[in-house]
Amino acid sequence: MKTTDDRRAQFEAECRSASLTLGARDDELLYDMWLDWLPERDRLRAAVPAPEDEPWR
Amino acid sequence: MAVNVADLDLRGVSEGLGKRELSSVEATEAYLRRIATHDPVLRAYITVTGDAALAQAKDADAEIARGKRRGPLHGVPIALKDLIAVAGVKMTSGSQVLADHVPARDAFITRKLKDAGAVLLGKLAMHEWAFGRPVTDGPFPTGRNPWDVRRAPAGSSSGSAVAAAAGLCAGALGSDTGGSIRGPAAMTGLVGHKPTYGLVSRSGVLALSWSLDHVGPMTRGVWDSAVLLQAIAGIDPDDTSTRTATTQDYVQHLEDGARGLRLGLLKRYYVDFPGLNDDVRSAALTAFDVLRKEGSTIEDVDAPSLDLALAVWAPLMSEAYEYHADTMRKTPEKFREGLRTRLLFSALFTAQDVQRAQRLRARIGREVDALLSRVDALIFPGQAGPALTFEDFPTTGFAPASIRYTAPWNLLGLPAVVVPCGFSREGLPVSIQIVGRRFDDATVLRASAAFERARPWAQHRPVLE
Repeated sequence: MKTTDDRRAQFEAECRSASLTLGARDDELLYDMWLDWLPERDRLRAAVPAPEDEPWR
Repeated sequence: MAVNVADLDLRGVSEGLGKRELSSVEATEAYLRRIATHDPVLRAYITVTGDAALAQAKDADAEIARGKRRGPLHGVPIALKDLIAVAGVKMTSGSQVLADHVPARDAFITRKLKDAGAVLLGKLAMHEWAFGRPVTDGPFPTGRNPWDVRRAPAGSSSGSAVAAAAGLCAGALGSDTGGSIRGPAAMTGLVGHKPTYGLVSRSGVLALSWSLDHVGPMTRGVWDSAVLLQAIAGIDPDDTSTRTATTQDYVQHLEDGARGLRLGLLKRYYVDFPGLNDDVRSAALTAFDVLRKEGSTIEDVDAPSLDLALAVWAPLMSEAYEYHADTMRKTPEKFREGLRTRLLFSALFTAQDVQRAQRLRARIGREVDALLSRVDALIFPGQAGPALTFEDFPTTGFAPASIRYTAPWNLLGLPAVVVPCGFSREGLPVSIQIVGRRFDDATVLRASAAFERARPWAQHRPVLE
């Protein structure tokens, strides 16, 4: 079970990884959006593609 | 002129011109008067090109008087979302970044519309870069819903919806990356058609997300959308996505009715679906009964991976981040808060997320193609609920309840049309959405026309103050 502090640290690490430097307001809004989205992202990462699932083109 | 153009759909204007009951100049002047009267409140237009429109209308009248009517759009006044280039006319994309941008060349589809003789009234409001939020302030307000001006028409093709619904043009073009034609059309009681990906050129149209962007009609009737699509569809050497475009006659089969059509029902999208409004559910299920009575057969179908569509769609919006990242880094003050948050969010997906999304996109596509080998079209609610007030619109996020109904068809590039199917208890329009096979937009339009004929909800008009 991740704590709020864990989540916040994860968010900050991801922002650093994406080379984002945020002002306070952007940080607040982006963190809210990122938190809201986590369940969808977890579903994406949990869905394992089959070998025949080649990238869409 | 005994005709009130505000009451007409595009077909009514076109037929009035054909019968010489109405001239193009009369129609154009009537729309310009309505724009002058109502647009200070509705804010559908960013730029009105009145003088140019009247000159085009005069030319159309002269040509028609010589017995040379080019087709059903000749002399018909329409308007374009402000991300479609018209040579010499400001194109802002609703953004301060492009506040003074004037393209030198027409978009491919603008040329096609001019060739068809359409009169261009101006450029329509939109959410900032087709990805921002609805706003009422600043240099580019996004427009108010004519059914209730306290409410947003949704977006991003907000001005296109407002102008067509309020009778400030005979029809409009919008663009759609996750629902930006269909959402606003549903919220304003219009027909909105996101064509098959690759059927309509995007060259000269500002991008949001290249592999998800579509351009299409927003009109009061199905015939209107069919005629507009006919004019703009086809191969454009400057847009490689159109290289396999297969056009059809989109008007020919509109009167064929629903008899013999096989329609697919995905029950999960009606029962216990997150955020689905009861009035929308009930109106959409009634629409199924209507189509059954009109002679179509209904089959229960499913595609389990569709549940992943939203999770797959969002990482692909990293295309939008790539498009804007450099400009946003240099001039962040020119991006409003709502757009900036969405773009920054799109930067947080990893390369693996994006590639996984592309692989799962292929899986969803295979499942849906299999369904569409058994049925001619699938029917869904057009949106999760009716129009929201500006205050109720979420500050961040993607309005996931509604986008779950629309974004899957951007992912797969399939044709999807929303058609009005009733009103909520507050008197706001609600819609169904009909989805078909790739490059078979004609069948989707046929099913839409069959429903429209049985239940002509689109004939209701908002009452303007």
